[in-house]
Amino acid sequence: MWKVCKYTLIDLARNRFALGYAALLLVVSVGLFQLEGDPTKALISLTQVALALVPLLALVFTIIYYYNQYEFTVLLAVQPLRRRSIVLAQWAAINIAMLVAFLFGIGMPVLVYSPDAAGWTLLLTGAALTAVFTAIGAWIAVRNRDRARGVGIGLVTWVLMVLVYDALLLWIMFAFSDRPIEPVIVPLAAFNPIDLARILVMLRIDLAALLGYTGAVYQQFFGTAGGMLVAFLALLLWVLLPCWRAVRAFRVKDL
Amino acid sequence: MDRVVFEGVGKRYGKQWALRGVNARFAPGEVVMVIGPNGSGKTTLIKCLLGLVRTTEGAIQVNGMEVGTDPEYRRAIGYMPQLAEFPRELTVDQLLRMMNDIRNARSGSTDDRLIEALGLEALLDKRIGTLSGGMRQKVSAVLAFRYRPSVLVLDEPTAGLDPVSARTLLEAVSEARRNGATVLITSHIMEEVQQLGDRLAYLQDGRLRVLLAPEVLLEVTRESSLSRALPKYLDQLPPSHVESM
Repeated sequence: MWKVCKYTLIDLARNRFALGYAALLLVVSVGLFQLEGDPTKALISLTQVALALVPLLALVFTIIYYYNQYEFTVLLAVQPLRRRSIVLAQWAAINIAMLVAFLFGIGMPVLVYSPDAAGWTLLLTGAALTAVFTAIGAWIAVRNRDRARGVGIGLVTWVLMVLVYDALLLWIMFAFSDRPIEPVIVPLAAFNPIDLARILVMLRIDLAALLGYTGAVYQQFFGTAGGMLVAFLALLLWVLLPCWRAVRAFRVKDL
Repeated sequence: MDRVVFEGVGKRYGKQWALRGVNARFAPGEVVMVIGPNGSGKTTLIKCLLGLVRTTEGAIQVNGMEVGTDPEYRRAIGYMPQLAEFPRELTVDQLLRMMNDIRNARSGSTDDRLIEALGLEALLDKRIGTLSGGMRQKVSAVLAFRYRPSVLVLDEPTAGLDPVSARTLLEAVSEARRNGATVLITSHIMEEVQQLGDRLAYLQDGRLRVLLAPEVLLEVTRESSLSRALPKYLDQLPPSHVESM
């Protein structure tokens, strides 16, 4: 597995999209920190941008890269390699490349302008989201033979997670505002990795107070070490599940 | 012992059988030209052998090892696909080293004569993304022959190659045959089939209709070229008949 991963990484190191992604994140991060006088405010803005941009670009890049490598993947599948190793090696390489781009583009400015607990949480959750969405991208690309369909499913997945899911939660909160639904909303929010990441960062910036009773419930659960552990285990599950599904699909796939 | 054995092999996509009831045995040192009209099942047959496609029925053996279980049987296989695509940002040399690593090949243990014969020496440091389709096809040929495989599978190998390189490649096939390799080649060029093939395997509608030596076909039909002999011979066969020897 490491052999395929190593050379895929060499290929990705010169990939223009990956380099452009790193540069874009750097420009956005430095721009926000420079424009905002208060690093905390800049971090809030950066969190909003990062939590939308990182999943989208990780997802789309992974899907497109898998499709671009299809013919070569077929050639790899004719070598004395297990299919599981091929798909995991490619995912690991894409994940590392996107992670390095993220740490370069957002990690460096955050460590310079806002090296506090909130900054570190943004980096950790951003890294976790990169792993989650490259894994989902790998699963989508392996499952769907047609490139346009694969990219389409990726975009729909992103819209569902970034916009629709939040809208649905808001509607539930509105519709049942006269009842104590926070105990239900918290696990529902945690079910979406982007929401989960957002909650974790917001708690570190002490913005939970602005969310009223819901914020208090979030604070009560995710504010503890146990809650943080559950949150990161949930994110880990979001990585493992699509990876496992991708491997399963690739093992039986007719190439 | 037969090097490659197909026993009742069939592949179905949905309700459509792409391949049905294929029985064939290929010996060491034999070149088999796999031919047939578009959609006849040539690619599916090759993909079944390579383990890229799972058979719906039947079994395939390579060097006595069952296809589809342990990937180790593929160590004996060299494959040249019709479309040569590699990671664009790798250099040719990095690609060769990658394959060496995957196959645990020590330096000096590989057959690198085709690199020189196909004029790739000067391109080793070039990125694959800068190479033309023909050049990539040459790289693909080098990879197929490099590990001295006992089974060579070449999918329309001369398509996209200039005449001189095509000649070089066919000479490499002849040498591999002399060294005991079993070679399966798909081709639409009947001159190639006649010149190179010890036997031709003709597929039609997913069924193996003919598996004969080209000379036998010419003799039976009393024709001088395969492009005339094959249709004439097929006309004489009942639709479900399979002729092989």
